[in-house]
Amino acid sequence: MLSIKNLHASVEDKQILNGLNLEIKAGEVHAIMGPNGSGKSTLSQVLAGNEAFEVTEGEVTFNGDNLLDLATEERAREGIFLAFQYPVEIPGVSNLQFLRTSVNAMRKHNGIEDMNAAEFMKLAKEVSKQVDLDPAFLKRGVNEGFSGGEKKRNEIMQALLLKPKLAILDETDSGLDIDALKVVADGVNALRAPDRAILMITHYQRLLDHIVPDYVHVLSEGKIIKSGGPELALELEAKGYGWLGIDDQAAANHG
Amino acid sequence: MKSASTLSNAFLQPAGQALPAALLTLRFDRASALADLILPTRKTENWKYSAKHLKLTDDMASTLPMDASAEAGDYNSGYTVVMVNGVVRPDASNYPTLEGLSIQRFGDLSEDDASVAADMLSKSISDQPAKSGSVNMSQLNGARFEDGLLIQLQPGTVLDQPLFLIHHTTASHSGSAYPCILVAAGNNSQLTVVEDYVSSGDCSVMVNTTTEFSVGDGANVTSVRLNTEGQSVQHMGTTGVRQQRSSRFESHSVGFGSTLRRHDLHVRLEGEGAECKLNGVVVTQGTQHYDNHTTIEHVAANCNSEETYRNIAADKSHAVFNGRIHIHQDAQKSKANMSNKNLLLTSGAEIDTKPELEIYADDVLCAHGATIGQLDKQSIFYLVSRGLSPRDAKVLLTMAFINELVEQIPVEQVRDTAHTGLKQFFDQAFKEV
Repeated sequence: MLSIKNLHASVEDKQILNGLNLEIKAGEVHAIMGPNGSGKSTLSQVLAGNEAFEVTEGEVTFNGDNLLDLATEERAREGIFLAFQYPVEIPGVSNLQFLRTSVNAMRKHNGIEDMNAAEFMKLAKEVSKQVDLDPAFLKRGVNEGFSGGEKKRNEIMQALLLKPKLAILDETDSGLDIDALKVVADGVNALRAPDRAILMITHYQRLLDHIVPDYVHVLSEGKIIKSGGPELALELEAKGYGWLGIDDQAAANHG
Repeated sequence: MKSASTLSNAFLQPAGQALPAALLTLRFDRASALADLILPTRKTENWKYSAKHLKLTDDMASTLPMDASAEAGDYNSGYTVVMVNGVVRPDASNYPTLEGLSIQRFGDLSEDDASVAADMLSKSISDQPAKSGSVNMSQLNGARFEDGLLIQLQPGTVLDQPLFLIHHTTASHSGSAYPCILVAAGNNSQLTVVEDYVSSGDCSVMVNTTTEFSVGDGANVTSVRLNTEGQSVQHMGTTGVRQQRSSRFESHSVGFGSTLRRHDLHVRLEGEGAECKLNGVVVTQGTQHYDNHTTIEHVAANCNSEETYRNIAADKSHAVFNGRIHIHQDAQKSKANMSNKNLLLTSGAEIDTKPELEIYADDVLCAHGATIGQLDKQSIFYLVSRGLSPRDAKVLLTMAFINELVEQIPVEQVRDTAHTGLKQFFDQAFKEV
């Protein structure tokens, strides 16, 4: 599904990714772990098409197409979804209006008629329950005044609505208490499907207790330096990033 | 225009003499006073940004004639008074008949009512010459009006539907029009007035309007002002409001049209416990220039004022907001809140904002805030990453900036017109994608 070869990327002339390689097949769940500054979020932003990031070398194909040639909105319509680490607050645009516009943009791309307001409302209510968000949130401004946990649940709710082929979850576990983590993990597990791939980006192992990945990769200085099964995450948890020769203060504190 | 910076004589020749003596006298006095005043320049503080756009050439001095074919607009239901070039067209109007409500043309006023009208105009708070001694647009209206409406509500009268005042300017040749509207709402009365300014034709014209509201004890008056005139129109509007005890006044102003638009809105909270809410939405594009000057005077104690203006400027347009709050010495326990947020859509657009607070009482709660910004790139990326086109994302974010104010407009037809106007604005402003 997704094939990344020798990817180099920079932001504001600072080189962040330095030859990253990754293959993800349909149905698989991959986790990328790494210390702060290793390039985890850059990878997610580059895949989603944030123009602030520049690809300087390498290639990315998505279901055979050159992903880097596609505009941000085209990537989304082809099935790439990024759950933001810091979802943006947009006062004045209701969550409902935003979600419906988004769902209908995808439907239009796939040659399906727009969903009418009543139909969409029903669907949105069902999905909001799935992530334990009060449907009242649908009427509020996009992420406006939401707590950190509510924002993350809103992201997962969008993934459930948009049914992407590849869901990239950027630090979806950060800032969540144990209960919220459980809700988010249940939502992500509900996304697992044979025709869908999930790429989770995380600093800590705890999310992986709830969502067991097929593969774990360790990212350091813009490259994957080690790959393995779920046991690799446990090993990192026990020994810290230092074990792999990575200097990481945050990891040392928690390792 | 002559080189001297006083108003050309051509502008001081009113047409139409079919008015009661009290109003003719007032008009004559206004014209005499104007003769000595200079036109505003960029050194005139309250015309700093707009003076250079003001074009009062002699060919625009003559009063535009009545045009019986001018259409009334599309308000097929409800109470409607149509004014064409400042003169009422009774045949196109649908006057409400309601006990306690009287709507009279200036020409039809009895001596008593004429002195009520003249009194309202002579006390007009927006009518004082600026300290600089320059021409005030409302004075020019006073020197030139040839027709007008005195709308009176007896105490306790409630108008069940909005009253639409359609001001149609026919710009088939150059000239000017001077509509004048006086609303006297008695104690505990209620009404909503919609002033809709439209135009046809594309010659250079000026519309110079005066609207005065006198709001009695406990009365509740809502003023909605919509401006969709064509690009050859200079719109000079003045609204004055006096509020008595425990009264409420709301103003909702939406502007898309005309090349130059200036609106002065002056509210005086004269009775204790009065409150006002002033909302304004301005979107400009091309080379449009909009200037909103508002003044809220807290004269009595325990009054509240809430003001929210939003400007969006595209292309090479220019929006100006000057909001003044003046708390008089006796106006203790005043609460005043003013917010002005501005959005620049291009690097060629300009917005100037100046909140002014003048406080002479010591126990008051006042807040004001003004911001100028652009669309947030991260917000655009967020929306586009959900499959929206960049254009749709920008439209959604721009709409979000003003939607709250549009939704607060209490008249559905005006909200609909606002949405249509905004859609056209977005189609122009974001056409590049």
